[in-house]
Amino acid sequence: MERREKEAVRYLGFGKNAVDDRTLALIRESFEDLDREAGKKSVHRVFDVEQTAEDRIVIGPMDIKSRSLGRNLKGCEKVILFGATLGTGVDRLITRTSLTNMAKAAVLQACAAALLEEYCDECQEKIGEEMGKEGMYLRPRFSPGYGDFDISHQETLMRMLDCAKTIGLTMTDSFMMTPTKSVTALIGAGKLRMNCPVSGCETCGKKDCSFRR
Amino acid sequence: MIKDRLGKELLFFDGGMGTLLQDRGLGPGELPETWNLIHPDVIRDIHRAYIEAGSDIVLTNTFGANALKFHDDGCSLEEIVKKGVENVKKAAEEAGTGRTVYTALDIGPTGKLLKPMGDLDFETAYEAFKEVMVWGEEAGADLIHIETMSDTYELKAAVLAAKENTSLPVFATAIFDERGKLLTGADVPSVVALLEGLRADAIGINCGMGPEQMLPVLEQFLKYSSLPVIVKPNAGLPKQRDGQTYYDVDPEQFAGLMKRITQMGAAVIGGCCGTTPGHIRKMRELCGEIPIVPVKEKEFTVVSSYGQSVFLGSGSKIIGERINPTGKKRFKQALKEHDLDYILREGITQQDNGAHILDVNVGLPDIDEPALMKEVVQELQSVTNLPLQIDTVDGEAMEAALRIYNGKAMVNSVSGKQESMDTVFPLIKKYGGVVIGLTLDEGGIPGDADGRVRIAEKIIREAEKYGIRKKDIVIDALAMTISSEPEGAKVTLETLRRLRDELHVCTVLGVSNISFGLPSRPVINSSFYTMAMMNGLSAGIINPASEEMMRAWYAYHALMNLDPNCENYIGKYASAAPAVSTAAQTGKSSMGLQEAIIKGLREEAHSVTLAMAEEQEPLDIINSELIPALNRVGEGFEKGTVFLPQLLMSAEAAKSAFAVLKDRMDQSGEVQEKIGTVVLATVKGDIHDIGKNIVKVLLENYSFDVIDLGKDVPPEQIVETVLSKNVRLVGLSALMTTTVVSMEDTIKQLREKAPGCRVMVGGAVLNQDYADMIGADFYGKDAMQSVHYAQKLFEGGN
Repeated sequence: MERREKEAVRYLGFGKNAVDDRTLALIRESFEDLDREAGKKSVHRVFDVEQTAEDRIVIGPMDIKSRSLGRNLKGCEKVILFGATLGTGVDRLITRTSLTNMAKAAVLQACAAALLEEYCDECQEKIGEEMGKEGMYLRPRFSPGYGDFDISHQETLMRMLDCAKTIGLTMTDSFMMTPTKSVTALIGAGKLRMNCPVSGCETCGKKDCSFRR
Repeated sequence: MIKDRLGKELLFFDGGMGTLLQDRGLGPGELPETWNLIHPDVIRDIHRAYIEAGSDIVLTNTFGANALKFHDDGCSLEEIVKKGVENVKKAAEEAGTGRTVYTALDIGPTGKLLKPMGDLDFETAYEAFKEVMVWGEEAGADLIHIETMSDTYELKAAVLAAKENTSLPVFATAIFDERGKLLTGADVPSVVALLEGLRADAIGINCGMGPEQMLPVLEQFLKYSSLPVIVKPNAGLPKQRDGQTYYDVDPEQFAGLMKRITQMGAAVIGGCCGTTPGHIRKMRELCGEIPIVPVKEKEFTVVSSYGQSVFLGSGSKIIGERINPTGKKRFKQALKEHDLDYILREGITQQDNGAHILDVNVGLPDIDEPALMKEVVQELQSVTNLPLQIDTVDGEAMEAALRIYNGKAMVNSVSGKQESMDTVFPLIKKYGGVVIGLTLDEGGIPGDADGRVRIAEKIIREAEKYGIRKKDIVIDALAMTISSEPEGAKVTLETLRRLRDELHVCTVLGVSNISFGLPSRPVINSSFYTMAMMNGLSAGIINPASEEMMRAWYAYHALMNLDPNCENYIGKYASAAPAVSTAAQTGKSSMGLQEAIIKGLREEAHSVTLAMAEEQEPLDIINSELIPALNRVGEGFEKGTVFLPQLLMSAEAAKSAFAVLKDRMDQSGEVQEKIGTVVLATVKGDIHDIGKNIVKVLLENYSFDVIDLGKDVPPEQIVETVLSKNVRLVGLSALMTTTVVSMEDTIKQLREKAPGCRVMVGGAVLNQDYADMIGADFYGKDAMQSVHYAQKLFEGGN
């Protein structure tokens, strides 16, 4: 099984159990549909970051109070603001499928999440190469809403990236991203090489989560 | 007046503003529009530099000045807009070049996504644009320039706001990517169709790419547009250095490419991000003397949706007829019960069967047609990218639909009656559209082709008075049943041929009328369909689920060399031997219904049920097969041996079995008792509804009536539904902490106004404590738990 297929299986709540053939067939079919409908786009910009206290981070006009982000960015001189989306086509596909086949819709939902993560990882790898040339190493992505990093920073973050114009990513009044299959995040960069995984279950404090790896 | 010069001589826009402001000290995240008030000198300096460099049209610094995007309590939006106009005018005076300088009120996007994909109402967007435009006109702007739009829907709101509230010329440009599409999927012909329909004055491309990358998009614009085309590229593709975005096409290169763009046929040129007065100066020097390519009227008949365009005239297009209550009991029931899902599924099925356009008719006596039409059109646009055909005799419903339709619609219909033309043509003039003209008038339906052609001519002539061109009219030659009109088919076919050969106008037919009153209608219909296409039928309104009709369609296109290499034909029929396994078709499967459901096999469950229903009572099948199978799957899910996709596959299989049984019961007048009614909603502000949809499918499986209010549902609407339908259980879902607040609010309002009603909640961020805190009666960790709670509540009789 491909990595993204394994991730989809995990999102669908199989835990450590083996996936059945019919679900796996649905997963493969869903990835095909998604590869066709997705309009992947991403944008990033590099900023200086200043950590004035353990829980106080300043990035341009963003003044953030967050202990968990502080931990994540510890020792970083730069931070990359990052936004990525699979586009409105995926949302339409899921809405449409919800009407005709709910099992497929649920699988599509999980596969879209896996596809988005995979895409973000690819983007992050490229950014890592760029930053590597300057002798900088990346930290794991950290999004508004993680830990005590207040989700209301989403607005400024998206404005600093001009997300609506560059990749068609917007936000609702309740800070939900539209298209829904989208990510915004901060990625710290520092001279120190830290041994850290790209993706996040291990860094998350919610130990009772049923989707935990 | 700029309109007198537009398209007759090359006009020059200015260049970028943002990058220049950053050089002058604008911070990241700072709102550039505030500088109209706090640094007017800097803004005027920049305007003046552009005017001196040769710009005829200068944009006000108001790109982000709309109430939805601009949040700064220190400045009034009205002041910013008016000052923005004044700054350009003052700069023009100061420059004193002697050339006329036009002040263009710059309108950028709201930065929000419109419904149904986002949370912004069309009319809210419209109002935000309107207020800025009215201020701009008051302050003395010469034109409105709407730019950098990446969504046709928002573009439409903006153009409509300009046209309805000001008398200024409207220029509109959108931001395309290298595939030649907007971020929301629209291609060039659909953007052109939309903007021409809305009667914009000049249209085109800006931002996103450099001049070189824009060439293929421009080619398309020039091919399809009958309006002067605007081109405003960036100074190349964005690059990054030290965290700063920059553009590296220099004035020399830029001007060279703009020369080529002018020679290709652009009528208004300028620059966007990264361009400077230097770029504009060079551009003017190099392009100033080039004679402009005159704009020609294009003769394409095209309708569009948010994501695609459909051309009539080459081959024959299929207009799906199924969204229409006429003669359809089940559809009428869906309309009465407000069962939108059923209607949407009809749309999806037709698209899957090969329709190119969907006819939408929701007219029934005792129904609020304008409201329903608007709702159905909006919802359809969230599940299909096919252009829609608004089918109504109610002028109010037609206008409501045309207004909110995201694209250039097909309209069904106008007739040769003066009253009809007086009602419909003003709407087409205002909103755009391709309108079907019925060949009948006050004198009825002419019995011969001569009479019908004459009415077609009358319709075309009358439309011209409104500036509606022949390409936007499709004539319905009218098919009259041969069972009462022996010459009916011949007259229709002759009319079609003459409309094509003499009037050169597109044609349409409701094909199946031809066989009304005859047995085995598909036999007649499909042959007549072929004959009609042979005589020039541009679009047939048919049932795409009819195998006979689709065979006729594929065969005609293959035979007439309208299907290159017979590709579509082969794709459809190469493997078409018995498509469905015969066992599944005849129900002679060895599989029992329980097994089919447990394994989640939808087709098998359907066919096995069909076979069983021949011998057993529907209710017996439900009790002895369906319910036990569902129970087993449900138990497995709870034990952790069955997982969500399997649970849902079984639910879908059960649903297809239920559908068969419900059909039988409807025929015999038998009724299956529902356990109770549950209202489901995703709370206000929340747009993630998959969890709610899962619960819905399962509740329906377990014989609950579900009223699904959808997503982003205001508390008031939930309360009102509960009260009016006397509902005892509400299920609410919310994804994030930011929306659990509205969940709490909804519960509060329900407690107050409907104290007898229970509330169950679910969603990603919820847990038992959280649910207790907001006062819910039950927290459903997963979908099955919600089902059990509902069962307990209704069966326990409390």
